[in-house]
Amino acid sequence: MRGMFARRAVLAATGAAALGAAGLGARAARAQAGGTVNFIGWSAAVDQVRAQISAFERATGIRVNYENFPWAQFRTALVTRLVGNAPIDVSWISDAWLPEFAEAGWLAPIDDIPELMKYNAEAAEYCTQSMRYRGRQYGLAYYGDHMSFMVNAELLQRAGIAAPPATWDEVVEASLRIKRQGIAEYPLLLSLAADTWLIEFVSALVFSHGGRFVDERGEAVMADPARGAVRAARFLREAIHTHRIVSPGAVETAEINGLRAFGSGAHAFAIVPTYRIRALNDPSQSQAAGRIRLALMPKGGPEGTNETCGWIRFYGMTPGAKNDRARRERAVRFIEFFGGRDTAGNYSMQKLLLTDLGLPFCTLPLNEDPEVQGFWTRWAGEGGGAVIAAQSARTRKKDVISPWFGEWVETANQAWQSVCLGRAEPEAAMRAAAAKWTELRRAFR
Amino acid sequence: MPRLGYDERAAALLVFPVVAVLLVVAAFPILYSFWVSLHDVVLTRPLRRPFVGLDNYLRVFADERFWIAVARTTVYTVVTVAATTVLAVLVALLLNEAFPGQRLLNALLLLPWATPSVVNGLMWKWIYDPSYGLLNGLLVQLGVLERYRAWLGDPDLTLLLIANAAVWKQMPLAALLLIVTMKAIPEDLYRAAKVDGAGAFRRFLHVTLPALRPGLMLVLVYETMISIRHFDLFLIMTQGGPGDASFTLSWFIYVETFRSLRFGTGAALSYILAMATFLLSYLFIRFLGRRL
Repeated sequence: MRGMFARRAVLAATGAAALGAAGLGARAARAQAGGTVNFIGWSAAVDQVRAQISAFERATGIRVNYENFPWAQFRTALVTRLVGNAPIDVSWISDAWLPEFAEAGWLAPIDDIPELMKYNAEAAEYCTQSMRYRGRQYGLAYYGDHMSFMVNAELLQRAGIAAPPATWDEVVEASLRIKRQGIAEYPLLLSLAADTWLIEFVSALVFSHGGRFVDERGEAVMADPARGAVRAARFLREAIHTHRIVSPGAVETAEINGLRAFGSGAHAFAIVPTYRIRALNDPSQSQAAGRIRLALMPKGGPEGTNETCGWIRFYGMTPGAKNDRARRERAVRFIEFFGGRDTAGNYSMQKLLLTDLGLPFCTLPLNEDPEVQGFWTRWAGEGGGAVIAAQSARTRKKDVISPWFGEWVETANQAWQSVCLGRAEPEAAMRAAAAKWTELRRAFR
Repeated sequence: MPRLGYDERAAALLVFPVVAVLLVVAAFPILYSFWVSLHDVVLTRPLRRPFVGLDNYLRVFADERFWIAVARTTVYTVVTVAATTVLAVLVALLLNEAFPGQRLLNALLLLPWATPSVVNGLMWKWIYDPSYGLLNGLLVQLGVLERYRAWLGDPDLTLLLIANAAVWKQMPLAALLLIVTMKAIPEDLYRAAKVDGAGAFRRFLHVTLPALRPGLMLVLVYETMISIRHFDLFLIMTQGGPGDASFTLSWFIYVETFRSLRFGTGAALSYILAMATFLLSYLFIRFLGRRL
């Protein structure tokens, strides 16, 4: 008997294993039949991307090869792979790289793909503009964000300041008051380390001072005292060296360190990417949780505006994928599922990125979603969502995005840091940045 | 030409794989990078890479940043090599004496050298941190500083602070090399000098130092070659900043090659740095070698 039971058990187990293998095999075969999409991104939102990939594979039968690299090395890694004709179908792209990638022939325009272009009708204008180069559109948004002016409401209250400052002069005044009362040594926090964020921080300052780096024709105007970046540079130098409301250590403060410093509750004002509001008001990540609120970017000088700098990261398709019918079909379905609506008709990825990580989106209909509204109320306070929407409407893309941006920004970063260190006059620093811009622009022609 | 015997042929056959590997992994990249330095290779413009001869070299020499980088590299190398050498001599003198715990100290000496460069850079970056750095904490507690300061944010100090981190890591190996050289000095020489009435300083000057020549030469050449090409500490601690305060040649090569993706000028810069390293080493051996 025992031997018979043992034989039955073996048979049953073998049968179960065979059935399981058949099931797995069927799934693999389905995936194989659907083909594969090769997708690369930087090492952000990895869990959310993997979850969405699983949903995509289940819904379409298309397999996804997903690779990611750290953000700091991503551009170089991607370029190296593109130069080596690696089989990439879809990649995350920063708006800053669009012109050089498009000029190099590494990105395919999508404006002849109606399945993707239909989403423009539901996208914020600055997002769509940020994915355009020479009149053609090159992708669908992964996320879009802007620099926000944030305040520590508790410190303001302690200093007897009723409302967030509306101009940079008021920021200086309020900061001096906070400093005099011994509430904070450096009330204004700016992260000015020479990393990839610096141009976004200083662009926000420049735009709010009514300035520009380049005009509509692409000519450098950054050194023009009347309409350039000089006023913002002067503000920075005075904030650090005259008023001493910004730490001299700002030049070695990277964005993530700035976030931590602001979260420690030691600063009253900061310029921070909007998506950080969740981390700043999360008690498990921030000592200042519940006290950080959003305000419109202060206006600087007589021609100041509430404008800020926005950026976008998007899903771009390679020409290799677009020129092959089967690859193109898979890539389009992938981009639509991630950058548009999923097969159930929902903006599931955008919503997931917001609710899990606080990453803002470009899709306007989601603003009406009660869950989204609840998210902003929870993390940005009552009325926080409205401030974000108002600031979003006053968001400009970086005007220096060009095929030579990657080279120019090295010189520009040094120029801004020299101003912050008090080693260069704002006018001279901006002249150096303008000269480099003109030199690179000429060389590109 | 004499015909090769069996042994020679067998030896050539056995050596061939190594030579082939070296040709592929060393000789080819060196020659290829020189070829690249003669072309205008910009990775983001893949369809054009014209031959430009020595233009990349001329462009580099005409670039203001190159001369800034040369100045920063010179300061950094001089400070690092000088401090490493002097400290290594002092430590070697100490550890050459017999005292309780000397063996333990010998072993502990190697710890910084065994620390990976990246870890060393991160450690010192934390020590210098303007918000929670150990150095700030210590100096404030001792009453030397009134408030925390941004050490690496001070362009007058940046290079010296990075050099300090480099010396901390490099000095143990230099000291070890010198200790080995010192052990070989005959004890009779010291006894004779003592009999002649030479004090400790004169014994060091006339017995130890001349006998240290080979070790010192090795330390100087090695430390110069290492320091002039240092990159990892700059990447981790300052990224060439603040401003251009730590914009050295190796950082310039990185920026030009991997950020601007100008492989042509990046390769030209690499050759210039390699030539400078070679020339300095040659000068050390040719001129200092005689005196030391």
